[in-house]
Amino acid sequence: MSNVVLEVKDFSFKYRQTKRKALKKVSFQVEEGSFLCIIGANGSGKSTLCNALVGLIPHYFVGKMAGEIRVNGINVAESSIANLSSEIGLVFQNPFNQLSYTAGTVAEELAYGLGNRGESREKMVEKVKYVAELMRIDHIIHKNPLELSGGQVQRVAFGSTFIMEPKILVLDECTTQLDPLGSEEIFDIVKNLNSKGITVIMVDHDMERVARCADRIMVLDQGEVVAIDEPKKIFGNPDIVNHHIDVPDYVKITQALREKGYTSHEIEVTEEPTVELVKEALQA
Amino acid sequence: MKIELKKMRHVYPTGDEALKGIDLVIEGTDPVAIIGQNGAGKTTIVKHFNGILRPTSGEVLINDENIEKCSTAQWSKEIGYVFQNPDDQLFLETVRKEFEFGPQQIGMSQKEIEDRIGWVAKLVGLEDKLDVHPFDLTSTEKKFCTIGSVIMMNPKALIFDEPTCGQDVEGNIRLRRIIEELHDRGKLCITISHDMKFVVDNFKRVIVMCKGQVLLDGKTEDVFTQTEVLKQSFVTPPPITKVAQGAGLKKTVFTTEAFIKVFEEERKK
Repeated sequence: MSNVVLEVKDFSFKYRQTKRKALKKVSFQVEEGSFLCIIGANGSGKSTLCNALVGLIPHYFVGKMAGEIRVNGINVAESSIANLSSEIGLVFQNPFNQLSYTAGTVAEELAYGLGNRGESREKMVEKVKYVAELMRIDHIIHKNPLELSGGQVQRVAFGSTFIMEPKILVLDECTTQLDPLGSEEIFDIVKNLNSKGITVIMVDHDMERVARCADRIMVLDQGEVVAIDEPKKIFGNPDIVNHHIDVPDYVKITQALREKGYTSHEIEVTEEPTVELVKEALQA
Repeated sequence: MKIELKKMRHVYPTGDEALKGIDLVIEGTDPVAIIGQNGAGKTTIVKHFNGILRPTSGEVLINDENIEKCSTAQWSKEIGYVFQNPDDQLFLETVRKEFEFGPQQIGMSQKEIEDRIGWVAKLVGLEDKLDVHPFDLTSTEKKFCTIGSVIMMNPKALIFDEPTCGQDVEGNIRLRRIIEELHDRGKLCITISHDMKFVVDNFKRVIVMCKGQVLLDGKTEDVFTQTEVLKQSFVTPPPITKVAQGAGLKKTVFTTEAFIKVFEEERKK
């Protein structure tokens, strides 16, 4: 059993301005180096949970909170966002909400968090250069962040989280502004980071991508955790669609082939095994 | 409604040639999807349909009439454009006022506006939110608010720029219903989308753009059959289609039912 790096215990939260609880007694654990995807309809509490994991709740958003979140043993409510930034980092759903609005250039935007942390100028220059190349924004490094396209801002937002070198990355639908190719580029970087031991927690609506990336999937419905398991178990459960989510198309194909008796193979959740299964069933 | 582009080019002030000579006719009411990578020219092209942008050279004809001398305001009555980012479009203090604003500008009677609000609010799922401030809506609701305020104007054609962005299952179902209902009412819907599942589920005609040109234009099945050409524009067919192609099924399919049918045909052979 590897290290638990994130522990959420009976966590509930209600925003001050709403009547309904956004999260209700949410409990789960995340192990070091794992890849957890969170799925659920809009309004199911996914973004609220992301905000709570990195300390924006309770340090920025006001509301009524119960339960506890620990990141590498640190109680989030008792720590500060600045202290948590080297442990856990969030890439926002709307990248424009993540900009500092004080930086004149992309380089300054990327260095913003490092400056707050008091890193040396040499270190900052070195890290900005590395992250800008990684995120393919080195050609716009001297531009004003407010002059960029949505896709470019999303890359900057990602870079400014990643530059803090958090051990846990939380991604809240972080590629909505990018086209499919740009999204894939970002997910390749994320998968690469994950293979190097970075823990990833990702919110996404693309079920094929979720099934491909996740070790485990957590399903939220109206603020409650209704399931947390490996992709095949989650999508293999016929009741899962009652929680306002879709299943990957691969599941639909393999389920249909099973129902018609063309295969006795278990369901598949990714492309290549599905293609193999279909080829096999054609020959049978 | 007929929209026609003749040898149309658009060069931005920066010198970037966004559109490199487009010849295109869109006619009738069958919904049309425009796909392609960021920077391919999708948004630039649709912004010419209602005069938000003007061609550098070439012509834009609406119902065979050159729109060169018409004002954008004149054409927005005919062709409505829903922005990609709702925050670029919303500016009033309630959803109701957003819905009323456009129609009032084009001189629609208050009675007609009242009549339309009920139907439109229900169609976009905001019937209980008419008195809410748009900035208190969720991001999905904001998008539906912008869609609603354009439908309110009763244009003959509507352009949706990336409506599926950030939508969940129910949001996609609602979009589908909106496009169907507008089609039933004789409206032409032109939609830019990156979501290939959404495209094949809702559109019979697909236009693929690449580097400022139309790479493919035709029936959805025919377009997604041309996998090699599609690769140039970095468009990948939806998952069901890809599995069928990967397993060597001969026909291009988009649904599980169609997949099984083609599978059974091939299996018998």
